[in-house]
Amino acid sequence: MKIKGYNGIILDVNLTTGKISKIALSEEYIVNFLGGRGLGAKFLYDEVKAGTDPLGEENILMFMAGPLSGYPVPSASRLTVITKSPHTSPVNKKYKHSSTLSYSSVGGFFAPEIKFAGYDGIIIRGKSPFPVYLYIKNDKVEIRDARKFWGMGTNEFDKRIKEELDDKKFQVIYIGPAGENLVEYASILHTASRAAGRGGVGAVMGSKKLKAIAIRGTNLPPVDDIVKYNKLLEKYRKIFKNSNRTLNWRLNGTAGALVSSSRRGSQAVKNYREGTFKDIDKIGAEAARKQYWVKNYACYTCMLSCKKSGVIKDGPYAGISHDGPEYETGTMLGANLLVSDLAGLLKEIFDADDYGVDAIAIGNTIGFLMEAYEKKLIDIKFLDGIDLKWGDVDAILKMMKKIINREGVGMYASRGVKFLSEKIGQGSSDFAIHVKGHELAAWNVHVNPWTGISYATSNRGACHLNGGNPKSQDRGALLDSLGICRFAFFGYKNDGLREFVNAITGIDYTSEDFRKVGERIYNLEKMFNVREGFDIKDDVLPERFFKEPLSYGPGKGKVLTKEKFYGKMLHKYYLDRGWDPKTSIPTKSKLKELGLV
Amino acid sequence: MVSLSFGKDGTYSMIIVEYNKCAGCRTCETVCSAANHKIKIGGVDYPGLGNPNLSNIRVYSYNPDTFVPNVCQFCEDSPCVNACPSPIDKKTGKKALSKDEVLGNIVYNPSVCMHCGNCARACKEKSAGVIIFDEQERRPTGMCTLCGGDPQCVKYCPYGALHFVKGKVKRKFYKMKPDKIAEILAREWYKGKGGKVQ
Repeated sequence: MKIKGYNGIILDVNLTTGKISKIALSEEYIVNFLGGRGLGAKFLYDEVKAGTDPLGEENILMFMAGPLSGYPVPSASRLTVITKSPHTSPVNKKYKHSSTLSYSSVGGFFAPEIKFAGYDGIIIRGKSPFPVYLYIKNDKVEIRDARKFWGMGTNEFDKRIKEELDDKKFQVIYIGPAGENLVEYASILHTASRAAGRGGVGAVMGSKKLKAIAIRGTNLPPVDDIVKYNKLLEKYRKIFKNSNRTLNWRLNGTAGALVSSSRRGSQAVKNYREGTFKDIDKIGAEAARKQYWVKNYACYTCMLSCKKSGVIKDGPYAGISHDGPEYETGTMLGANLLVSDLAGLLKEIFDADDYGVDAIAIGNTIGFLMEAYEKKLIDIKFLDGIDLKWGDVDAILKMMKKIINREGVGMYASRGVKFLSEKIGQGSSDFAIHVKGHELAAWNVHVNPWTGISYATSNRGACHLNGGNPKSQDRGALLDSLGICRFAFFGYKNDGLREFVNAITGIDYTSEDFRKVGERIYNLEKMFNVREGFDIKDDVLPERFFKEPLSYGPGKGKVLTKEKFYGKMLHKYYLDRGWDPKTSIPTKSKLKELGLV
Repeated sequence: MVSLSFGKDGTYSMIIVEYNKCAGCRTCETVCSAANHKIKIGGVDYPGLGNPNLSNIRVYSYNPDTFVPNVCQFCEDSPCVNACPSPIDKKTGKKALSKDEVLGNIVYNPSVCMHCGNCARACKEKSAGVIIFDEQERRPTGMCTLCGGDPQCVKYCPYGALHFVKGKVKRKFYKMKPDKIAEILAREWYKGKGGKVQ
């Protein structure tokens, strides 16, 4: 292969047949889709037919590194997991199993290790008849029995698997009971505290009876221009070292936004009914620093160390150590449920990660149930005797357990708020806060309608990382395909990343070609969804945001209007995209321009 | 932990790890690797790719989040050198492993190496287990070069967790294995009231 910076090999493992093979990665795919999310979308579009059962044998689950992965480029730590989502659905189902694709990103050390082991990504096919894990040490690849690990929480598994492996430098990615039990929004964990949380990627892994992938490698492919590469490393290490934003990430991580977002009225509070949490100071970064945090920690060669680990010092949960709260976990399991007890919140976060469940989706789902219960649309019997009141940590922990085990009410709740609202009826869909069946994240929309555009138009269903306009969406898709962390973008900007990619690969992208990779990926993802039957009827926000203004706080009175949101903002969005504003479907000329037809 | 070395002039060189500052990012591994495995182009040496697997400093990560960079201890009694059975190289007058007379780091001379792995075994038994015998290359790895007096791990650590100092410092974790160090640190850092650990 002429292109450098890649191993040029995708590891392909079929768990039904046990066949392990290597796929040669074509240069054309690399130039057009780069890696990570982009390459995953391309494989998914080509290989997973419309209407495929996401939890069936035919779905594929991919773990993709990018061109920057493995190199000590600051913050090049991200892995993207791509699959067809078991959790999303359109308004009108074209197929029994119509759903969007999903991509979920996780930091840490796994993507670099894929590169060290001699691959650019891993594709998992089929289903094992019994629980297994995949063992990869450079060329040596084995499917190993994992029956003794099945049912184990991620925290314990993280420790146990390392005892079993012959080298302490293995990197491992795994599911917990939620994924095993096919909870639709189960996550995949790494280092017991980093999650590919969204879109139900953990349920797909569970459906394949794949508990974990353990990988260890020792090599790194050569780069195209070692002189430029070293100059760029020097340059960007300096930029990150000297930036105040670096210090801010280190100080607060994403938890800093808990208080600032609440003060702007942009936080998900009380199932998105409000934008400000009166008790936010009790669970914000300052409180966590005083009562909980022990140290900062970082992903591979990252200079930001946004993660914070800590230990609960007092009360019934004393001695539990974990990370958080982050903005998402702290809001969705805290402010959104009116939880003001920091230790209780931390226990919820620990449990969510230990179960291997998306903290965003489960927090959103429990918020919905609390509201339905308060409004007496459901009674305590429906909740299996759990008195699910706002702010009650014990009740929340009990409900989480029900959901993970899919027993009683958990059977329904494990399928998310769209399913629940259809079951409960009585107008509850107005406050079932999802788009395409995917629960909204911790940023509320009343005070910032562009966040609403982000949620309404994202290809995996409601996504806070999507961006509210084509430019930022395409850039996001591009970053997710390089293996770089979004939080580090401030240091690089488009040109810095392009320079790195060019020095490593030798491709020599112009800024327009580089930008276009992101646009191509975004459009291909959209076409995957179109093929599944999604259209403009699915790009909608819950009614709550148009009917119920915020009742207090800095955003008091703010509400969206349909005329402005759909009639102007979304309409303009489709036009800017080169998509038909009547159907939301990409025009032929746009697809042709991107080389997608 | 402190790495200590005795120079001929009686000074000590050492790399000190401040564990509470280490964020586990492994930048040290990549810059060590780049500096000690250079790439030659047109007769000029450039830093290598930074493959962490070629590094002489290795960061071990634990749950709960505790990170232990493991680097040559510059042992006062040099168990690795003592265990080395190689003949003396006539050119240098030294064995395959010897102590540098200026910086005090362990110097490897492959021309007289017997590829026996005694050094790695001695390091594992009597010190922190930094030296690892590479079965494929049939040679010991992990001996810190101190980068000729300007250790790159120290220079590039983003979190100021590594220090290169001269002088005598008390070494709490001297010669201790990473697993043991992590256990002690975790007990210190991650305990609830009454020492409760869950």
